[in-house]
Amino acid sequence: MSDRQPPTSRAEPTELPAPLASPKRFGVAVRPPHYAWNGEHFVSDRLVAVDRTSVAGLPGQVEIVIEGDFVGVVADSLAAAQDAARHLRLEWRAPSGAGQGDATPLPVATGAASRELAAEYAKTASSHRHDYGWPSRLRWGDTPGWVVADCSDQRLMLWGETITPEALIHDLMTLTGLPAERIELYGTTPTRVSGLGRHCGDDAAVDAALMSRQLGCSVAVWLDAAYTRDVHALGQAQCITLSADLAESGDIADYRYHQAHASGDIAAVGLWLCGRPPARRTVAGRTPFFSPYDFNNAQLTTRRDDHGTGRRNEHLAEIQQAFARESFLDEVAHESGQDPLMLRLRHLDDARGVELISSVSQRARWGEALSSATTTSPDRLRGRGFAYSQLPDRHQRIPEGVRSAWIADVEVNRITGDVTLTRLVVGQDAGPEVDTDRLQQTLQARVLGSARPLLGRDPAFDEWGDGSKDDKNVDPTPGGALAIHTAMATKESADAEATTSLLQPLDDVNLAPGVAVIANALFDATGVRFRQPPFTAGRVRQALHDQADSLQEETPGRPTNRPGRRWLKAAALTAVAGTAVMAWPWKGAITPINRPAANLYSAETIERGRLVAAAGDCAACHTVEGGQENAGGRAFETPFGTLYSTNLTPDEGTGIGQWSYAAFERAMRHGISRDGKHLYPAFPYTAFAKISDTDMQALYAYLMAQPAVSAETPANALSFPFNIRPLMAGWNALYHDPSPFEPDPGQSELYNRGAYLAEGLGHCSACHTPRNAMGAERSGQYAFSGAMVDGWEAPPLNRLSRSPIPWSEASLYDYLRHGASSLHGAASGPMAPVVAGLGELPEYDVRALAHYVAVQMDAPAGDSETVQADAAVRIATAQSGPAGMEEGERLFEGACASCHMESGAPSFTSAQISLALNTNLHSQHPDNVIQSILGGVHADHVPGLGNMPGFADSFSDSQVVNLTAYLRARFAPDQAPWRNIESRVTTIRQHNNSPSPTPNATTRRG
Amino acid sequence: MTEAISLTVNGRSYELAIPPDTPLLTVLRNDLELNGPKYGCGLGECGACSVLIDGMAARACVLPVSVAVGHEILTLEGLASEGRLDPVQSAFIEAQAAQCGYCLNGMIISVRALLNHTPRPSSAQLRAALEYNLCRCGTHVEILEAASRAVAISTAESPEAPHE
Repeated sequence: MSDRQPPTSRAEPTELPAPLASPKRFGVAVRPPHYAWNGEHFVSDRLVAVDRTSVAGLPGQVEIVIEGDFVGVVADSLAAAQDAARHLRLEWRAPSGAGQGDATPLPVATGAASRELAAEYAKTASSHRHDYGWPSRLRWGDTPGWVVADCSDQRLMLWGETITPEALIHDLMTLTGLPAERIELYGTTPTRVSGLGRHCGDDAAVDAALMSRQLGCSVAVWLDAAYTRDVHALGQAQCITLSADLAESGDIADYRYHQAHASGDIAAVGLWLCGRPPARRTVAGRTPFFSPYDFNNAQLTTRRDDHGTGRRNEHLAEIQQAFARESFLDEVAHESGQDPLMLRLRHLDDARGVELISSVSQRARWGEALSSATTTSPDRLRGRGFAYSQLPDRHQRIPEGVRSAWIADVEVNRITGDVTLTRLVVGQDAGPEVDTDRLQQTLQARVLGSARPLLGRDPAFDEWGDGSKDDKNVDPTPGGALAIHTAMATKESADAEATTSLLQPLDDVNLAPGVAVIANALFDATGVRFRQPPFTAGRVRQALHDQADSLQEETPGRPTNRPGRRWLKAAALTAVAGTAVMAWPWKGAITPINRPAANLYSAETIERGRLVAAAGDCAACHTVEGGQENAGGRAFETPFGTLYSTNLTPDEGTGIGQWSYAAFERAMRHGISRDGKHLYPAFPYTAFAKISDTDMQALYAYLMAQPAVSAETPANALSFPFNIRPLMAGWNALYHDPSPFEPDPGQSELYNRGAYLAEGLGHCSACHTPRNAMGAERSGQYAFSGAMVDGWEAPPLNRLSRSPIPWSEASLYDYLRHGASSLHGAASGPMAPVVAGLGELPEYDVRALAHYVAVQMDAPAGDSETVQADAAVRIATAQSGPAGMEEGERLFEGACASCHMESGAPSFTSAQISLALNTNLHSQHPDNVIQSILGGVHADHVPGLGNMPGFADSFSDSQVVNLTAYLRARFAPDQAPWRNIESRVTTIRQHNNSPSPTPNATTRRG
Repeated sequence: MTEAISLTVNGRSYELAIPPDTPLLTVLRNDLELNGPKYGCGLGECGACSVLIDGMAARACVLPVSVAVGHEILTLEGLASEGRLDPVQSAFIEAQAAQCGYCLNGMIISVRALLNHTPRPSSAQLRAALEYNLCRCGTHVEILEAASRAVAISTAESPEAPHE
């Protein structure tokens, strides 16, 4: 999918391409707390003071670049720069006019222009009226990447990725005062040129140029999700209001088009901050309008002052206008019960255009019902849309321009929000002299290029496979991201790519209808109108979910989801589309659904979900001993009372069968049950929030495809005030960070994959990190420092590890992959099912986990000879026991030694690893040793691991105490004796004897 | 929950539908009616339940049957071949090492396992190998005598065995 290598593999600066291959320095831009484009002005906090001592003494030769309100931190490595940026203390003052210390973000796109517009329109009451927006910035691209600038000797070289090179060059000229020919852009993927507007790669480029210019050496900036802040801050670049009245005949009588700005081009954030905003000047001449239709009484207006670079981006303006107009006509047609295509034809006084539309509609079989042959699932919605445009030629002559008619079919997964453009029929007349072959090639390249920035793609850390790059064709997002297929694509686009230079403008292909046609098809499929791109899966999913909720209130029990009957409601819901992220409907119940059909998900998705479930080890907590998998009911003793895990099988009565994907995701990321109740953080949603969207969807698919088990979850027995669930809202506000996982660009791909698995899915910290008095995981130095969980000690996974032989990455791998390490011991207790779950994972993932944990422990890659020799000494020392502990010795010789001591011949059932190397015996806490003596070690699900019987029924408390003390003295002679064995034995016996209710489970295949 | 389990015992294959965590000893005695291995302590302490798995001694009472899948299991019943007793069996008969005889299965299996690994063990090695096989009748002297005789017989039968 991506033309670039994944970012982590190019983390070494030497891998950057020439001539910017080796940036001298690495920079991070520090943005003000508040900054925004408000529709007319850029408003930001003002920099008052910089405390340079706050970064003094930090490694990496840190330098601070200040220019106006722009702050950059530059160092020898990205990690050092990021670290310094975190430490740097800055004092900001709210801009004059804004309230002092006002914590609310500045309003976006509600400036005077919009207010004036609203007042104007209040006077006229048109029967059809809608606003359409266009974002100032698109997402930054598919994957994070480097942007490198070198500004010296009256020349600026820049390596990065832009889809609006003209606008970027203009910004760089404004910044540096250099003429265009002294600015060289290098980059990749010319087919990315899309004409849909700028993305925040341009902002990163200006940041890099700013820092490089001041320091006089090349500076690399890491373009990642941090730049989405710029996307939100710059808000809407364009707002277009359309209204119309219809005549009796259904013809459009009054047609009014008003756009807020002549151009939707907003300069890079760095440029505004450093105090070099683009010249504000009134654009000379009329704002061009590109309407191909003849409407009676049409009024076309725009505000005359141009806020942007003082330069029109007409390609973008064409697309924005076409999006608004073609969406609006589609809405009018639906609202008045007309065929959207016929409505347009009635207003088209252009024989050639009519002919083109007729031919395209015939080829696409417009008017025939969409075939349902390819989809049997009610959760796959299909729709078809139409859009048309005609753009003027270079000399602003519309009749000579290119006509373009598009019909698109989309398929929407109602649960995931994924949109698949299943078919695209595009007809284009390119004027008198047309090279149809080249047109078709270019179209293919541009159609793909135009559609892609509308979509997001998950970064690479959540790819499942063996980690080899060649594995990419296994499809990292099965069942997932939007794929583009066009019915017209007959030739490879290689030629088009070769002939398209980075700077070639969009002159011969009319992409303008591309966005509208998708919006219209989306409406046809879902009944939801999207009035601002992009149409990401997240926005589609949220909109569908809101729609379903409101419809449930309106007409309970009517789960129909086609437009027509319900467009009004849906339209009202999405009245003004903004760039703001929509908030979760906190605490509300999410409408129950019928259990999704078993065949809804592809086998690949379910298989991926199985791996996700194995890595997350759902069954370890959600299965009662000897019970049905994932049917819940396992008791958890916490300091706050007893909790029971819930039924995760898709049973509609007692499990999650009625949970929609939205409900499932909310529970996983925010700890809120489908019915709106707060869940307790014994369920590690605090970690699961880090799971990627694709993995979350696959997990849902997998769980929904399992057999339903009817098993009621016992009621929790919590003490006051913890039994009051709504209090968890406050807890979440204090302790829960639902932000998604961010890979660390300074670390390897293996490390990031391991971090993703360990911190998110694997939720290692849920057990291995101590919790505070409120049951929240402690952070900082306490992360992975070990904790007591459910009667067992989860040992530290950091430098506090008390393992007698220091762990190595190789030992960790052996332990996680095979359940035992020859220098440490075997997995037991709650860790045994974790290892069993890891057994399902690919080799690469277990290596990644071992690598990540090894880094936390500061562990070496392998076990040195010194370490091996130390192990041999420890084993030899423990060959004989301490004197004066006769009872313990007798118990050991009688009960344990048959398996735990060498008898001279190999035995199939003896413990292979000496107790002298056992971490539990060297711990500060005797709990795991006592647990193992009482309950035994049961790892029969890990092949090759033996089983130890439990002695709870044959040893008295005092015998367990004596044996435990003896084991400590004999096998951990370098550790102080445990003081609290007696009380721990009593406590653990009581804990283990407390009756765990066994739900009366029945299996139903469904 | 029962599962399909394939076991190879004394050279024969068995297909069983049993819970995978059933102790191997229970399966051998109840399902396959092989009563050579005895139920003693049930905790792997006494050795009466011993069988050979891939030629190594194993305490069948603490071994879930699923762990034995794919391995060669040999019980006391399978030691004799072609109508001839194993030299260890012959030695225990000749030495009349039994009082009640309950532990003898484990003793014989342990000696066999040692000889598989160490064909000519010293008497100290014999004692170490039998250290964790319990006999409550106190016939240890006779048992050690039988074990030494077993070493002698098997050495005589296979003179090419390496001398240590």
